[in-house]
Parts: sequence; C-alpha cells; structure tokens
Amino acid sequence: MAARTEHEVLATELRWTIAVVASVALISLAILWAGLVHFINPPSNLETIDPTKVHLSPEFTEANLGTRVDEGGRVTTRIVTAQFAFIPPCVVVPADEPVTLRLVSPDVIHGVLVTGTNVNTMVVPGYVSQVHTVFQKTGDLLMPCHEYCGIGHSQMWSTVRVVPKAEFKPGPDGRALCEKP
Amino acid sequence: MSEDVFREIDRPWRLWASAIVVGVLAFGCLSGFVILPVIQGYQAGIDPYTAICRSLGILPGSPAARQPVSTAPAAPVSQVSWGPSLIARLNKPDAARGQEIAASVCAACHGEKGLTADPAQFPNMAGQSAFAIYKQLHDYKSGARANEIMQPVVADLTDEQMADVAAHFAALQQARWEQTWVRAASPQVETIVRTGDSARGLPACESCHNPRSGGPIETPVLFAQTKEYLALQMQAFKSGSRKNDLYRRMRSISEKLTDSEIDQLAQYYFEQR
Repeated sequence: MAARTEHEVLATELRWTIAVVASVALISLAILWAGLVHFINPPSNLETIDPTKVHLSPEFTEANLGTRVDEGGRVTTRIVTAQFAFIPPCVVVPADEPVTLRLVSPDVIHGVLVTGTNVNTMVVPGYVSQVHTVFQKTGDLLMPCHEYCGIGHSQMWSTVRVVPKAEFKPGPDGRALCEKP
Repeated sequence: MSEDVFREIDRPWRLWASAIVVGVLAFGCLSGFVILPVIQGYQAGIDPYTAICRSLGILPGSPAARQPVSTAPAAPVSQVSWGPSLIARLNKPDAARGQEIAASVCAACHGEKGLTADPAQFPNMAGQSAFAIYKQLHDYKSGARANEIMQPVVADLTDEQMADVAAHFAALQQARWEQTWVRAASPQVETIVRTGDSARGLPACESCHNPRSGGPIETPVLFAQTKEYLALQMQAFKSGSRKNDLYRRMRSISEKLTDSEIDQLAQYYFEQR
C-alpha cells in the first residue's frame, strides 16, 4: 500500500513508533520482573585489585584461598586463576546454600565456568570477579579455564566438589578443604 | 509544498520522538539504578544508598547480595612485586656495579662466567633470566626462600644491587635457545615437556619455561642447568620445603610428578645446551 498523502505517512510512522516503544517497554518490564521476582541479574561487581600485588593482599593470600565460612554462616570461595592453574586445584562447597565465588587473576585474562551450573565469568587482571550462586547437584564438577590464557591453557582446570549440606564440615577456622584433590 | 509547511508538519513529530527517547533513557536509568537495586537491596538487607552506589559501580558488590568480608591476615609466600620501576631497573642495570658484586660475592661458587664451581651444589647463573635471579635473591633476603649459604650472602645487598647483579649474570649468554633440541629418553617425559598432560592437570614445562612462551615474568631458564640442582628444587617443591613460588605454580606441578619423572626432566634440561 503506497502512501498517498503526508497524513498517511505520518500515520504509518506513528504505528511503528508505538510498536517499537511497546517492544522496548515489554523487554524492560521482563528485565524488571526477572530482577525483582526471580532475582536474576547480571553479576555486577566493580571491584579493583592491583594484579602485581594479589599475592601480597590479605584476602588472596595463599592461606586464605578456598572455601571459608564466616561468622554469619556465609560461604565464600576464593580462587586465584593464574597461568596455568587454579589455586586451590579443588574447592569444596555445600549444596543448596548460597555460595559466593570470588576470583582474581594476577597475570592475564582467564575465564571460568562450572559445568552444569550458571557459574560463568571472565577473570580480568585488575578486577575481582564475583558470582553468587546455589549449587544444586552434588558431586565433582569440572571447572576449566575457558578463556585462552597461554600455551598451558588446555591443562588448566580444577574441581568444584559439591557435597550435601550435612557432609559440609568446615574446620574451627571456618575453612573447608578438599580431602583428596 | 514549501519548506515551511514540511517543518510545520514535522514539529510535533520531532518533539514526541525526542520525548520518547528521553523517556526510555530515564526509565532505564530509574529502573536500573534506583528501582531494581533498592528493592533487591531491601530484600537482601542492604540500605538503599549502598544499593544504588553498588549498581552505579561506585562501591564494590552486588545490590542484590551482601558483600563477603575477609578478615584473614596477609601471609605472602614472596614479597616480590613486579612494579614498573623494578622492571625498568632490571632492563637498565648498572652493569659495572653488577660485575663488581658478581666478582666479589658470587664468583667463588657460581663461577666468574656464571658457570658453577661444583655442579652438585651450586646452580649455573650464565644466561639465566634477570627477573628469575632477582626474585630468588629478594626471596633469600626476605626469608621467603631458606638457604644457609645464600641468606647471609644477600643480607647486605640493596634491591638495586640485586637487580644489577641479576642483570649481569643474565647478560652472560651461555648458549642460544634456538639450538637443536636433544630428545628426552622417554616419550612420556617428552610429552610433559612439550604438550603437558591434561588428564593430570600438568601444563607443559615449555608453556612457561620457554622464554618466548609468555608465561610469568619470574620464570627461570632451565636449559643447561645442573641436573642435581633441578632435581633438588623439584623435590623441594614437591615436599613443600621450598614454597616461594607465587600461586603454588611449581608446588602444584611437582606434587604430581613421580621421582623418576623428576630425575628424567632434570636430565632432559641439563642436556639442552
């Protein structure tokens, strides 16, 4: 249908404007709904750390890596991703409980995903990557590096051991370690 | 129709289009920076101001979850941090002073030309990476690496002097990396060196120890090193008696190696010259 008059052109433009605004509004409402009702939102955490001093920092010092339960009972797992290994090579976490993963890289960009879960993030030197999740399936899950980080990239993987809540027993200092990595 | 007529027809359109764009932008900012974080923060027990700051990226953390706190004290395995001034110093050393220190302090054991006086006890230094030597000297001084002979020797050296002497030995080229490779005695060791073993999580030695591999800056050169020294260090990493490797890199690898593999790897790198 060819537009014959200026008014017909305007009417067409108006119809399409309404369609576009309605689509944008619908998508925005879906994002709001997901965020407010289902708590689904992108892992937002803008936190910087000097990559040359990761090993000197109190939080990512070697003795503090792995899973730790704080006084409030919150489970936090800290991992350093470095060429070409995860430190520690195995972390243990409880099932059906909120777990916060905090990852840093001292050298190049790495990436992690935990197979079969929604954990998937890049680890960029200079920033702390943080993921909040709840592991539902128990067992040893593979956590490979999924961002090419150098020649040893394909040998860079680690294990996330998800154990039932009753079997998750942190030590007196709150640290939980894999018995056999 | 004249220009004016068109302009007249377009005016409300321009106004409304602008209003819609600004409206969508305002709605996006309002929902992303105020509505979502405040409501999510309320559910997670976070005050609205903190939640908004987190959504804007001013404060670290998610507006939807409480931020973990770490109370652990720092216990670094090495005090060395590769800042720009240190790297610049190692690249532009005081060569004369480096040579002087090497001759008076190091030569008795490590040789005037950086070649060991006793392979069973002391490693070769010629052609070693300046960054690797500096890291070890610094670790001896800070106590990160324990050694009865080296700790008193470096006790009086300043950071600049360590950098100068490290760069001095690095400049003594012992051999060229490009030279012909001698094959390992067993194909298994050849695999560990060249390609690594994914099933055991063993990265190839060459993924860091080849100077062109782009691995960590403090990685030492292994070729033409004494086999006794190499085996001793891998065993020390394996047992945990040496733990100044950043991020457990060598400890996690050495733990997975058998004693026979350690001896063969030491032999292999000793033969590359």
